[in-house]
Amino acid sequence: MKEKILIRIKNLERHYKSGEGIVRALDNVSFEIKKGEFVAVMGASGSGKTTMLRILGLMDFPTKGEYSVQGLNVEELPEEERTYYRLTQLGYVFQDYALMNEMSALENVYVLSLMEGKSKKEAIATAKEALNKVGLGDKGNRIPDELSGGEKQRVAVARAIAKKPMILFADEPCANLDTHTSEQVLEVFKILNEKFGQTIVMVTHEPWHTKYVSRIINLKDGKIVSDKRRRNGFN
Amino acid sequence: MLNDIKVGLLGAKSSIKRGNKKTLTFIVFVLALIFINLVFLPSMIGGFSVMFTGFMQYPYGDIVIEPSMDNSYINNADNVLQKVRAVPGVTFVTKRLDAGASIQYKQKVVGSSIIGMLPSEEYGTSNYPYIISDGEFLGDLSRDEIIIGAMLVEGYFGSEIYDNLGAVRVGSFVNVTYSNGVTRIYKVKGIMEGTFELVDLNALMHYKEIEDVFDIGGSKATSVIVRVKNTDDAVKIKEKIISAGVKEQVFTRDEKSDAILRQAMQSIDMINVVSKFVSLIVGAALILIIIYINVLNRKKEIGILKAVGISPRSIVFSYAFISMFYVSMGIMAGLILYFFVMFYFTVNPVTFYETMTIIPEIQAGLIIQSIFTMLIMSVIAGILPAWRVSKESILKAIWGR
Repeated sequence: MKEKILIRIKNLERHYKSGEGIVRALDNVSFEIKKGEFVAVMGASGSGKTTMLRILGLMDFPTKGEYSVQGLNVEELPEEERTYYRLTQLGYVFQDYALMNEMSALENVYVLSLMEGKSKKEAIATAKEALNKVGLGDKGNRIPDELSGGEKQRVAVARAIAKKPMILFADEPCANLDTHTSEQVLEVFKILNEKFGQTIVMVTHEPWHTKYVSRIINLKDGKIVSDKRRRNGFN
Repeated sequence: MLNDIKVGLLGAKSSIKRGNKKTLTFIVFVLALIFINLVFLPSMIGGFSVMFTGFMQYPYGDIVIEPSMDNSYINNADNVLQKVRAVPGVTFVTKRLDAGASIQYKQKVVGSSIIGMLPSEEYGTSNYPYIISDGEFLGDLSRDEIIIGAMLVEGYFGSEIYDNLGAVRVGSFVNVTYSNGVTRIYKVKGIMEGTFELVDLNALMHYKEIEDVFDIGGSKATSVIVRVKNTDDAVKIKEKIISAGVKEQVFTRDEKSDAILRQAMQSIDMINVVSKFVSLIVGAALILIIIYINVLNRKKEIGILKAVGISPRSIVFSYAFISMFYVSMGIMAGLILYFFVMFYFTVNPVTFYETMTIIPEIQAGLIIQSIFTMLIMSVIAGILPAWRVSKESILKAIWGR
């Protein structure tokens, strides 16, 4: 059976003004991501990987090129619909957890379900389920300051997956974590991908993270220099 | 929209629940003071107005009829009384005959206005019968008796400010020399104390006595005093009195008070408006600064919220709810403080011009108006900074630019 293509990027470019010149953060990038893939986007600092993830996550706009999700040209969506699309279809895990400090772990997770229109009861149930998935079912009432770095990042993951997104984006999710905690977070991703078929696109610069992924896209100076699928990997 | 409100409420609730309590206390305290500032001065002005209006009832009732421009007296006042009594809404009417005179007790002499009145009719028309602090009010047979205002009597409230008759007491005899030169002796029947110059510097006497002294028969009067059922209808009733064929000058109490009171009130009202305006600006600025600092500190958080799909509208709602909470708490604290202050000033009224005491007036309408003004102000001041940041691009907000 033909695997379903979720993301299609064609000739994508992103230029920034820098002084009097122009920086090409992304330069004619094209690729496709299929449903259920766990993709690592790698490259040195300034290679364009975070820029690419932000465009894929509908937080930024490309200067040129096409970007579609399931055939829908998401670039053309008006702002309100982009916000709704991010809410209902995309999950995003930030490098620095990006949790609301005054909300408990549970509130941080269920706020998105409330936004989706679920009742508070349903939202809480969904949030608890997501927290259980990341192994934090017993820490829902804690605020971020009462959690370790790894726990915070797992709450961020729970927030991203609670709404069962079509694609989960993670921007260097282990950048602030030690190796052991990083492994815990990546294990969560691995389970989500293997057990629940979650499509994940993760930006990382740590080579050892690649053992968890099924595909590696390497960027250099805004261009794809390699795109490899693991033959005997997880999928 | 409902989802935006739910998310906004959750954001506001957690922010308030886990926010800095000391800051919250400070904000609430300042807002309470602002609320007090909005309602306290008008309450005092209200009290002042009530006091003054009450005083103006003595000489003018609710409506006063005075001689037409060319005359010193209302001729055939009984005819006027008859016409006025027939006007619906009028409860009491009486005529008065005022005269200038000097009163002498032993070696002391003071000038005074003597108000000639029909004593039994004054019970329904004015407060004079009810402010007798010593002795009794005049009776219908009190032809050789006089009521003296307290400020003319040594030892009474306010008497130290003015020339007085010394230790004149109930039962004392005083000489009254009228402006036409007639001098008569009267027994002091009572001393009236209205704690107001317009009352307490005068003397009261029987209408018939003045009529007799000035030899002005034919039912003449210097004024006809009218009381009405509902003072709000005074203007309408005045028109009806004129329509009833009264040719003399007819004034409502407010019109008569114009020169004395309204000008003063207008100045005070101006101060009040400026004071209110400044309070509201300070309050709005406070909320704006608090929310703006809060929003700036959370610019990144707001960017992230937008990035994960939270609508800008719910972010704005969240800050609107937060500022409404601050202001509601401020209003509640302000109300408690206000009622304490009101209670204090009711028990210990402010003395004005040494003889008048002002008891602040609690005005429900004013309080409700102030509450709404502050709530609207808080919503606007809370929304503006949040709206501005929520409209920024996600990346700008996340990068804190």
